[in-house]
Amino acid sequence: MKKIFKRYTKIYLLMARYAFVSWLSKRSTLAIFLIGKLIRYSFYFIFLYFLVMKSDGIMGYSPNQIIFFTLTFLLIDVLSQFLFRNVYTFRQLVIKGDLDLILVKPVNPLFRILFGGPDLIDFITIPPIIFIVGYYGLLLEPTFIHFLYYIILLINGLIISGAFHIFVLGFGVITTEVDHMVMIFRDVSSMARFPVDIYKEPIKSLLTFVVPIGIMATLPAKALYGMVGFFGTLSALVFGISMFYLSIKFWNFSLKKYTSASS
Amino acid sequence: MKKYLSIFRISLEQEFVYKLNFVMWRVRNIVQILIFFFLWNAVFEGRQGELFGYDKSKILTYAFLLIIIRAVVLASKSTDVAGQIAGGELSNFLVKPVNYFKYWMTRDLSSKILNISFSLVEITTLFIILQPDIYLQTNILNLFLFLLSLIIGAFLFFCLLMLTNFVPFWSPESAWGAQFLVIVIVVEFLSGAFFPLDVFPELVFNLLKFTPFPYLIFVPIKIYLGADIGFVIQSLLIGSFWAVVLWKLMNAVWLKGLKVYEGVGR
Repeated sequence: MKKIFKRYTKIYLLMARYAFVSWLSKRSTLAIFLIGKLIRYSFYFIFLYFLVMKSDGIMGYSPNQIIFFTLTFLLIDVLSQFLFRNVYTFRQLVIKGDLDLILVKPVNPLFRILFGGPDLIDFITIPPIIFIVGYYGLLLEPTFIHFLYYIILLINGLIISGAFHIFVLGFGVITTEVDHMVMIFRDVSSMARFPVDIYKEPIKSLLTFVVPIGIMATLPAKALYGMVGFFGTLSALVFGISMFYLSIKFWNFSLKKYTSASS
Repeated sequence: MKKYLSIFRISLEQEFVYKLNFVMWRVRNIVQILIFFFLWNAVFEGRQGELFGYDKSKILTYAFLLIIIRAVVLASKSTDVAGQIAGGELSNFLVKPVNYFKYWMTRDLSSKILNISFSLVEITTLFIILQPDIYLQTNILNLFLFLLSLIIGAFLFFCLLMLTNFVPFWSPESAWGAQFLVIVIVVEFLSGAFFPLDVFPELVFNLLKFTPFPYLIFVPIKIYLGADIGFVIQSLLIGSFWAVVLWKLMNAVWLKGLKVYEGVGR
C-alpha cells in the first residue's frame, strides 16, 4: 500500500511539473489569466462586502457569515479546479482515440485523466485564499469541534466534487459530451456561492440532495457556525463517500462501452 | 445588401447546427440570473424601503431585464475574430468583397435575434414560476430612450470586442487571454451584468461613469427603471461619445493590425 502511494505520488508530481512547465512557457498568457482571476475575485468580494455591510446580513446570517459562505465555496471551487483541471481536456482524448494510449499504460487511467494537469494559476491563488478563509474563520470564533467538522466537511466537499468530475468523465466516454457537462456543473455549483437557504423550494432541495452542492459548499460553513452536529457531519460523509463509490462504478461501466476511434 | 442577407441567414442556420452549444449558453445565462434573483430576493426578505436606491420590485425587475439585455448587448459571434487572426483565416476574408466589420455585425445581429427570441420565452417561463412583483415602465419617452440606450450598448460592445480581438495581430498566443480579461472579467463586472453598479460608493460609481462599461447593461436598465432625466441625458451623451471614440479607435487599430498581419498558419 505504501509502495503504491509512493509510486502514485511520484507520478502526480511528474505530471504536475510538466503541466507547470507548460504554463511557464507561455508567461504572457499566464500573467493575463492570473491577473484576470485576481481581478474577478477582487470585484466579487468588493461587491459582496458592500452588499452585506449595507444590508447588515442576509436571511439571519451576519455579514461575516455570508462572506465566509462565499469564501468556503471559493476554496472548494479553486481546489477542485486545481486538482481536476485535466477533465477539461478529456474530450479531445476520446474523439482522437488518444485515450487508448492512456488505457494501455501501467497507471490507473482514471488517476491519470483526473489529476493529470494541475493548474499553475490555481496553485498560485490557493495559499492567499486559504489565508483569507482562515482569517474570516477566526473572526467567527468557532470551537475546536466546529473547526474539525468544517475540515471534515470541506474534504467531503472535494470528494463530492471529485465524484461529479468522474461522472462527467464516464459520460464523456459514452457520449463525448464533456465540456458542456463540466460547464453546467460549474454554473450550477456557482449557485452555492451563497447559502442554499436563499433559494426557494424545490430549488433548495434540488441543490441539497440531487445536485448536492449544498452539502458540498454550504454545509462546511454551517458546521463552523455550530449549525451541524456529529450526525449531520456523519450523514454528509456517508453521502459523499457513497457518491464517490457510485462514480467509480460508473467509470468502470463506461470503460466497457468505450469504442476506440481513429487512434 | 443581398450578400449580407445571405450571411445573416447562414449564420442563423449555423446556430442550429450546434444546438447543444446554444442550449448550454442559454442555461448558463439562466443560472446566473437565478443567482442574482434569489440573492436580492433574500436581501429584501422582511425588509421594507429601499437599498442602494432600489425597492424589491425594481431590483427583481433588474434581474429579469438582465435576461433580455444580455441577449441584445452581449450575444455575439464576433468572439471568433481573435481565433481567425491568430490562425491566419483572416486572409480568406481579406480577399472577399465583403466589409469585415459589416460581416461580423450581420453575424452578431443573427445571434442577437435568436438569443432575444429565446430570452422572451425564458422570461415568460420564469415569470410564471417565480411570480415576482415586477416594475413595468409605461412612460413612452423612457421606453424610447431605453431602446436607444440598448442600441448604443450593443454598438459599444461590438467595438470593445473587436478591439480585444485585434490583440492577436501582435500577440497571437494571447487571443483567448485578452478576451478572458476584458470581456469575461472586466465587462461582466463593470457593465452591471453581475450586480447593479450603485452598490459601489459614490466616488467609485462616479469614476466608473466615465468608462464605457456602465453603458452596456447598467444604464439601459436604469433608464427603464425610471432614472431622472438629468442622469439619462448625461448617460446617453457619454455613451454616444464612447461609441464614436471606440469606433474610430477600432478602425485605426484595424488598419495598424493589417500592416503587421502575417497570415501565419495559412
